[in-house]
Amino acid sequence: MPNDMSHSSDMALVLSRVSARFNDEKKNVLALKDISFSLPKGSFVSIIGPSGAGKSTLMRVILGLMEHESGEVVRDFERPAMVFQNYALFPWLNARDNVAFGLRMSGMDRKKREHIACEKLKEVGLERLEDHYPSQLSGGQRQRVGLARALAISPDLLIMDEPFSNLDTITSESLKADLLRIWRSYGMTILMVNHLIPDAIELSDQIIVMEAHPGRVEKTLSVDLPRPRDVRGPQFFKEVDVLTEVIRKVS
Amino acid sequence: MIRSVGHPQNRAWHRSHTRNYRNAWFIMAGAIGIAALLWFLGDFGSVAWPALGAAILQTTYRLALAYGIALLLGVAIALLVGWSPFADFFFPFFDVLQNLPSFALIPLFIYFLGFTNQMIILFAVSSIIWPILFAVLNAIKSAHKDLSDAATIFGAHGWKRIPYYLAPLSYPAILTGSIVGIAIGWEAVIGAEIIANITGFGDFIKTASATGISQASVAGTFAILVIVFVINRLVWAPLLAESSKRYAE
Repeated sequence: MPNDMSHSSDMALVLSRVSARFNDEKKNVLALKDISFSLPKGSFVSIIGPSGAGKSTLMRVILGLMEHESGEVVRDFERPAMVFQNYALFPWLNARDNVAFGLRMSGMDRKKREHIACEKLKEVGLERLEDHYPSQLSGGQRQRVGLARALAISPDLLIMDEPFSNLDTITSESLKADLLRIWRSYGMTILMVNHLIPDAIELSDQIIVMEAHPGRVEKTLSVDLPRPRDVRGPQFFKEVDVLTEVIRKVS
Repeated sequence: MIRSVGHPQNRAWHRSHTRNYRNAWFIMAGAIGIAALLWFLGDFGSVAWPALGAAILQTTYRLALAYGIALLLGVAIALLVGWSPFADFFFPFFDVLQNLPSFALIPLFIYFLGFTNQMIILFAVSSIIWPILFAVLNAIKSAHKDLSDAATIFGAHGWKRIPYYLAPLSYPAILTGSIVGIAIGWEAVIGAEIIANITGFGDFIKTASATGISQASVAGTFAILVIVFVINRLVWAPLLAESSKRYAE
């Protein structure tokens, strides 16, 4: 499973020997080298690795926001969405309009999109904050708005770039629980960049470990623990140990 | 955190201006107080107030018109250039153009438009447009990549990118650019009126100061001070305060 390059219909994404380069007047750096992995539909996959491993660059390549130099990217998704580490909410829009942004761009009428936006805000626990602007929200609330904005377009692929890294432990635990509930109910594919080993094991079916300079895949691990996962059980800690050892080698 | 407003200097500028304008009422009240005292002491007895009023109205009208044109043109050009893939190509070109000394170009304006109202207005447009254009371009260029990616991912492609992403992103920059532009605009309009001998506040001051500092020139200075403070207090300060709050990190 780890490096299955088949273009079968049960894969949301297949990357085959993808390389990408930052090439502008300031730098010419190979950011990604020969990245290969596949993303089964409906799975939760985490990418973990040191800084400089090109994790965020890889997300941009997958979404077509950045050209890749060589290799092949086969995308079998229609409505990708993204949740950003820094929230990336539009400061000029309130929470409801931020959530409805994607629907507005798709041409949905105002009444319908506002109804959906309010539903999604309710789903992430922010039903009373729909008129608040991002500057009036806490980090956790902003990230929830970001998640609601992604859910509003009914994505078939949700990409999350270190969504918990700017949040305190209590907020991130609560958001993680919500994320798992949402993933189960929507059945979408999730690809999450993460830097916390326990989080990656708790959430993921598969973990891709990347190395830096240039960014490349060091190892792909499957997490076969039953769900819901007991994060205090011996099996969980064993998985944490295995992944920690892999990360240590990479570092 | 995402820096919602593109250019960091814009935000610092915003904050300092918002703070400074809190004191504007006091400064204005002081200016009016001094003017009232001088009036009481009979210092403005010989001032032709209707002529001064008419001159200020004419100058303000020219400035308002020039600002409106510069705002439309500056924002439109900046948004189009910022939206296109050619922003980096146009930036140095605009930089050279804005460095041309405005008053050195006034003979050209007079040559093509004569000693007319249009000449003064278009000359002022050529001065006001640059701070607006550069503020907006800077805001677009230095916007956080994540914000731009979010706009793209959620469907702000093609022309939609201008009204739904670039224009609202640039709003604080439009404000700051406008404030600087209007300050330059007063100079441009008054200067052009003085150089071209066209009726307006510049011409009024020139005539009043022909034989040294007169009561009329002092009265004119006070009047302009009051107008500038009123506009700042009633228009720019609330807009800046709201923008600063809304676009805060």
